[in-house]
Amino acid sequence: MSLLHSEVIQLDVPASYYYLRLISTCIEELLTRMDNLSDRDILTYNIQLATHEVCTNIIDHAYAGNPQGRITMTLKLTPQPAHIVIHLRDTGDTFDFLSIPDPDLDEVREHGYGLFLIRSLMDQVTYNPDPGQNHWELVKYLA
Amino acid sequence: MNMEIRSFGDITVLALSGRFDKNTAPSVATWLTEATSTPPANLVVNLAEVNFVDSTALATLVQALKRCQQQQGNLHLCSLQRQVLMIFELTRLDKAFNIFVDENHAIQSFAV
Repeated sequence: MSLLHSEVIQLDVPASYYYLRLISTCIEELLTRMDNLSDRDILTYNIQLATHEVCTNIIDHAYAGNPQGRITMTLKLTPQPAHIVIHLRDTGDTFDFLSIPDPDLDEVREHGYGLFLIRSLMDQVTYNPDPGQNHWELVKYLA
Repeated sequence: MNMEIRSFGDITVLALSGRFDKNTAPSVATWLTEATSTPPANLVVNLAEVNFVDSTALATLVQALKRCQQQQGNLHLCSLQRQVLMIFELTRLDKAFNIFVDENHAIQSFAV
């Protein structure tokens, strides 16, 4: 059955690598509500990977591994125009998103691909550090 | 993540399955560090059953590639699922690794 209205999933998880799989599963399940997605597997994986990289960034940098941190995620799937918006919130340290350049892809590097993947795989990426809260918003158009 | 290891002469194959990501990469990295500790380090990493790689997995494989090359060997990848291969292409790491369609080709290429 085709999706007629927007659907929203909210998730609040400890900032732990263990729960990254759960976040991927939520994205996959929500996208199954959308019929006739072309290249569904690729699209799903790309959205999962970009979201996963944001979450690992939050765990590693915003919370610096503090297990008391939490990640709040809101997924909103809208049928017309078909797109998904993923909002992630943390209460850890901020960082200067715009100051981090993309890696030189002519070099074989061990690190620095995370933000590049986020920017490359999504259509819009915004990061807003508010006092006490950091907000990421990822948008992917599905048509 | 499951890890299966098999040997063909001086070539060792590591076949992974499941998610290869920040949560699971440390056990893979530990094995790869041990496997590349003595020359010649000729490894094949079979990713046929890996449905998810992240930037930590890429870093783990790049580290292992460099260690293999330092130990007079090489690291070949094989059997990448389409969505995983696309991430190697996006990061241009498909140029750094020798990537083969299947395990046999990846093993045989060491003899050339």
